[in-house]
Amino acid sequence: MTQTLTEDDLYRASTQFRLWSFSPESLAVLRQKTHELARERGRQYGSENNDADGMADHLSKEEELQLVQRYCEQIRTTSDHFKWPVQVKATAVQYLRRFYLSNSVRTYPPKEVYKTVLFLACKTEATHMALPEYARRISTAPEVILAPEYKIMQALRFTLDVRQPYRGLKGVLMEMLNMAQGMVGQVEGVETKGAKQLQQDMLLLEQPGHHDRTPWKAPSSGKMEVKHITDRINAAYSAAKALLDGPALLTDVYFLYTSSQILLAALHLADEPLTSFYLNTKLPLTSDLRPRILGTIAACADILQTFSTDQILTKEGRDGLEARLEKCRDPATRDLVKAHAAAKRGSESDEEEKIRKRKAAREKHEREGDDFFGPSIGGKKG
Amino acid sequence: MSRFAAPKTSPVSKRDPRVGGGGGPDGELHNSMRGMSLRAPMPTNTGNAEVCPVCKSSRYLNSSLRFLVNPECYHKMCESCVDRIFSHGPAQCPIPGCRRTLRKHRFREQTFEDIQVEREVDIRKKVQAVFNKREEEFESLRDYNDYLNDVEDITFNLVNQIDVEETNRRFEAYQKVNEKEIEENAQLAQQEKLSFTAMQKAERHQARERREAARREEDDERREVEENKRDALNRLASGADPETVAKEGQQVQLKKRMDRQAATERQRQLQAASDGRNGSSNFIVKGLKSRQKVEPEAPIDPFGGLRISSKYFTLQDDYIWEGIQDTKKDVKHVAGGYDVRDYTQRSLCAAFSGLGVFIADEISERDRAAQNSAAIGTIRADIGLKDSLMADAV
Repeated sequence: MTQTLTEDDLYRASTQFRLWSFSPESLAVLRQKTHELARERGRQYGSENNDADGMADHLSKEEELQLVQRYCEQIRTTSDHFKWPVQVKATAVQYLRRFYLSNSVRTYPPKEVYKTVLFLACKTEATHMALPEYARRISTAPEVILAPEYKIMQALRFTLDVRQPYRGLKGVLMEMLNMAQGMVGQVEGVETKGAKQLQQDMLLLEQPGHHDRTPWKAPSSGKMEVKHITDRINAAYSAAKALLDGPALLTDVYFLYTSSQILLAALHLADEPLTSFYLNTKLPLTSDLRPRILGTIAACADILQTFSTDQILTKEGRDGLEARLEKCRDPATRDLVKAHAAAKRGSESDEEEKIRKRKAAREKHEREGDDFFGPSIGGKKG
Repeated sequence: MSRFAAPKTSPVSKRDPRVGGGGGPDGELHNSMRGMSLRAPMPTNTGNAEVCPVCKSSRYLNSSLRFLVNPECYHKMCESCVDRIFSHGPAQCPIPGCRRTLRKHRFREQTFEDIQVEREVDIRKKVQAVFNKREEEFESLRDYNDYLNDVEDITFNLVNQIDVEETNRRFEAYQKVNEKEIEENAQLAQQEKLSFTAMQKAERHQARERREAARREEDDERREVEENKRDALNRLASGADPETVAKEGQQVQLKKRMDRQAATERQRQLQAASDGRNGSSNFIVKGLKSRQKVEPEAPIDPFGGLRISSKYFTLQDDYIWEGIQDTKKDVKHVAGGYDVRDYTQRSLCAAFSGLGVFIADEISERDRAAQNSAAIGTIRADIGLKDSLMADAV
C-alpha cells in the first residue's frame, strides 16, 4: 500500500494547519469569545473588589490587539539585541499571538509573559541560552521568567512547531539562481521551453514596478546580462526577507495563510515580474488551482502591503494602556511566581501530606484485614 | 570335487548335492527335514545361492562366504572375488558377457532374494530422490495423482527398459529445473525422520515409566496388606476382641484400597490428560506437517508504504548559490557524510509546502463539518493527517 504525499499533504499534517489556521471569520470569532470570557470574569471580580470604575474601564478588543502587537515588536527588538537567528524571533512572536488567542491580556498582561515566550522560543529553535545568563541580560529574576511557562505551554496546546517561510525563501532563491544560469528542474505538467530558453526569458524580463520593494535598478547600459539577473534575484531576496521579518510577523498572516503563500507574497511585493515569471514555471497553465493560488498570494501581499510601522503603538500609548490594564486586571493571576511555586510544590504542606498518607495506609490495612478474616469481633483485629 | 558340480544358474530346485544320491523313498522328506536344519541356510528355489559364479567356491567349504552385488550389472560374487579382482582399481565384470567396469566400493550385500526386485528398488530409490514432491504442494488431489502417475511412468520405463534414453533425458531435465525444491524437500524429510526417532524414544520412555509405576504400586499394596496383618496380630496379642479386631481390620483394609484406587484413578486421569495432549500433538506431527513456503523477508520499509513526491519542484543535483557551495567544500561537513541535497530538498519542500492549501476554504469546511455531527464521517481524510506519520518536513 503505497500512499504518495505531496508537499501540500505534508503541510496538512502539521499542527500549524490543524490547530492554528483560521479563516478571517473564525479568527475574529475566537478572539471575540476570549474577550467576552475575560469580560465576564472581570465583572465577577470587579464586583468583588467593589471597584467603582473597574467595570467601566475595560480595554476594547482593538486595544488588546494593539497591545499584543506592541509586544510582538518588543520581542523582535529583544531578539535582535541578543543577535539570535530570525527563526527565534518569528517563533516567539507566533507563540505570543497564539497565546493571546485563548487568553486575555487582563489575565496575563503581556509585559509578564513576553520574556518567557522569547526564552521558550530560543529553546525550541535550538539556540538555547542558559537561564541565569538570559535573566541577567534581560535584567529580570529567573523565577519571574519561568513562572508563566507552563501556562504558555498549555495555551499553545503543547504544539511548539511553527512553520517558517525563511527556509523556503532560501530554496526559492537557489532555484532562481540556477534558472538564471540555465539549469532548471522540470516540473510535471508545466510547459516550459527548456532551460536555455528560460534563461533568455529571464534576461528579457521587464523592470520591477514602482510598488515593488526591491532596491535593484536596471543597468544603465540597458543590456541585461546574467550577473545582472543574479543581482536582481539577490536584491529581491533581501527585500522579501525584510518583509517577512517585519510586516509578516506583526500581522495575522500566519493564521490566515500558509508559510509558502506568505513567502511568495513577500517575493511578489519585492519584485513582481520576477515572481510571476517564477510561478509560471511552477504552476501549469491549465490547472484550476492556478488562479486560486495566485489570488491567495495576491491577497496575502495586500495585507503585507497595507501594514505600516506607524500602526504599532508608541511607547506612550503602551504605557497608557498598561495603566488602565492595571486597574482592571484579574487579581487571581497577579502573582505568577507564587502560583508557579505553589503548583510545583503541591497544594498541601509536607506534614499534612504525611499524616494523610499514614491515615490512608492504616485504613487500607484495616479494610484488607476485614476482607480476609471477616469483621473483627469486639473491636479486636482478627 | 565332483560332488560340487552343481549348475550355476538353474532356476529349478535341486537336491542338495552334499547328500548325494541317498534317500530313496524318504528323499523328499529328507529334503524338507534338511531344509529345517539350522546348520546352513536353505537352498533357495533359484538354487544358485551357495556357489560363487566366478570362483565356484561354495559355502560348504567356506562357511563365512558372503555374496556381494554391484548395482551396475547386478551380478553377484563372493567377497573374496571382489577383493581379488577389484582391489587394484576398477575392472571389468568377470561374468562372461558383461563388460561393465565395476568399482569395489559400489559392491554391497543383496537385500532381496530376487535380483529383479533389488534392481527395481534401486531404480525407485533413485527416482524418489529426485521426484520428491509432497501432497501439500499440490493444489488438488487430482494434480497430485497426475504427478504420481507421471513419476510411475518414468519408473516403469526405467525398470522395464522402455525408451531408456528419452526417460533419462526427462529425468535429468526435471532434476536440473527443480534442483532447489528437491534439496528443500530432502532436508525436510531428513528433519522429519529425526523428529520421528526422537518421538519414538519419548514414547518408549513413557511406557517404561508407566510400567515402573505399576510395579511400585503392587509393592505398596503388598506391604500394606502385610502391615494390616501385623497390626491385627498385635491387637489380638494385646487382648482385644477378635471379632472386632477382624472387622476393623477389614474396614481399614477396604478404606485403604478405596483410597488407593481413587489415587490411581486421579493419577491415570492426569496422565491421560497430559498424554492426550501429548498424544494428539504427536499424532498431528506424525500425520501432517503443514509446510509454509518460507518467503524471503521483504526489505524493511521505514516509511511503511508512504512516499513523498514533489509536485512543484524537481530537485537538482547542484545549486550555484554560494551558501551551499561553501558547505559542499567544507571538510567539517563533508567528512561526516553530510549531503547538501538534504538541505536543498528541505528548503524547496518548505518553499512549496502548503502552496495549494487554501486555509479559508478548508477551515470553514472543517468547522461546518464539525458542527454538523452527522457529517463527521465524511470529513476529508487528509485534514488532520496524523503528525506521527511524517517527520518534520520543513
